[in-house]
Amino acid sequence: MISLKNVAKWYGSFQVLADCSTEVAKGEVVVVCGPSGSGKSTLIKCVNGLEPFQKGEITVDGISVGDPKTNLPKLRSRVGMVFQHFELFPHMTVMQNLTLGQVKVLGRSREEALQKGMKLLERVGLSAHKDKFPAQLSGGQQQRVAIARALSMDPIAMLFDEPTSALDPEMINEVLDVMVELAKEGMTMMVVTHEMGFARKVARRVIFMDAGRIVEDAGKEEFFGTPRSERAQLFLSKILHH
Amino acid sequence: MFAGYDFDVIQRSLPYLFRDGMTFTVTLTLIAMSGGIVFGTLLAMMRLSSFTPLSALSGGYVNLMRSVPLVLVIFWFFFLVPYIGAWAIGANEPIRVGAFWSAAITFTMFEAAYYCEIMRAGIQSIPRGQVWSGYALGLDYWQTMGHIVLPQAFRNMVPVLLTQTIILFQDTSLVYVISATDFLGAASKIANRDYRLVEMYTFVAVVYFIISYALSQVVRRLQDRIAVIR
Repeated sequence: MISLKNVAKWYGSFQVLADCSTEVAKGEVVVVCGPSGSGKSTLIKCVNGLEPFQKGEITVDGISVGDPKTNLPKLRSRVGMVFQHFELFPHMTVMQNLTLGQVKVLGRSREEALQKGMKLLERVGLSAHKDKFPAQLSGGQQQRVAIARALSMDPIAMLFDEPTSALDPEMINEVLDVMVELAKEGMTMMVVTHEMGFARKVARRVIFMDAGRIVEDAGKEEFFGTPRSERAQLFLSKILHH
Repeated sequence: MFAGYDFDVIQRSLPYLFRDGMTFTVTLTLIAMSGGIVFGTLLAMMRLSSFTPLSALSGGYVNLMRSVPLVLVIFWFFFLVPYIGAWAIGANEPIRVGAFWSAAITFTMFEAAYYCEIMRAGIQSIPRGQVWSGYALGLDYWQTMGHIVLPQAFRNMVPVLLTQTIILFQDTSLVYVISATDFLGAASKIANRDYRLVEMYTFVAVVYFIISYALSQVVRRLQDRIAVIR
């Protein structure tokens, strides 16, 4: 479904991604972790073309992201994305957030979009908040709305960029629960996160990045059991023991 | 102290001052404001474009407009617009453009440079992630701008845009150089006809002060109420 081949990216002369290759198969959940500044967020933003890359190739459902002839808006409309800081549109109500893309991009009628929006809000447990503005919701609620907004486009895959990093600890689980449920339904997911509990529960593979490189790309058991790279061992020992 | 002054002249000329003069001033202000904000927003989008020729063109325009005195621009435009218009439509003779439309075009183009800088700051104040999330939904550049960035930028900048409009309202009095009859121009005509300079100019100053001050108070009230809550 998602395939990266030797992707490299520079900011000026500074190389942020080097020779990154991996695959995410249909229905697979892949967790990307690693220390800050290792390029995880940049990598996932390359997948739907929010960040340009200079070398290599990324394809989503067989369509090349880096090809200038690719209709990027169309491709992006088929890939859902959830951001660290939610990025709901603060000047629109929750329901308007959920219908904007459906109406403007997919060309759905208002009624159809409202119905779909309502169904998704029920699913994330927030239907009572449909007419509120994002600022009136807690962080966890905002992130659930953001997930619902991404799902409203009926995506073929979902990208999560540190979806729980900006949340208060007590709100992390309500977001993870939604994500776990989504994974169990067979959604193709690429998730940048430090939540190793989530990785253990639903990930099939874990990718570990350091300094712009994919250092480890292994099955979940292997990664948590006996990571091959020293860097991954060190990282795991630091984040798992408290 | 006021012996020898005749403040009755004000009352006698009120209808002329307001029906002719103030109408001209207010209409000119409103046209230049609307036109200037629309054109200025386009300039701001150009200026923030990653396509260098576009941003250079807009930058050059804005810097030029902000570096020349307004009076000069009004004066030049008044003489140039008929020729530019004739050239544009291929007429042999300079077209007739009245003082009002000449001033309206001038102020729109001049103020656009200032509104551009305000809108540029407004657009830049919107977090990058907002643009990303618009794109991630599949919106294109114009949809992301129109539905997400500009509405927020505009609301954040309303106080500053209105403050600039108050300045514009005062600046419209500079149309005296092309002998247009705005509020000041009307007062000036009466003042010279009746030789009541002190009375008329004092009155004009008081009126400009009251309107501008009242508007600035409105802006202060708006400031707290209109911002987008994050």
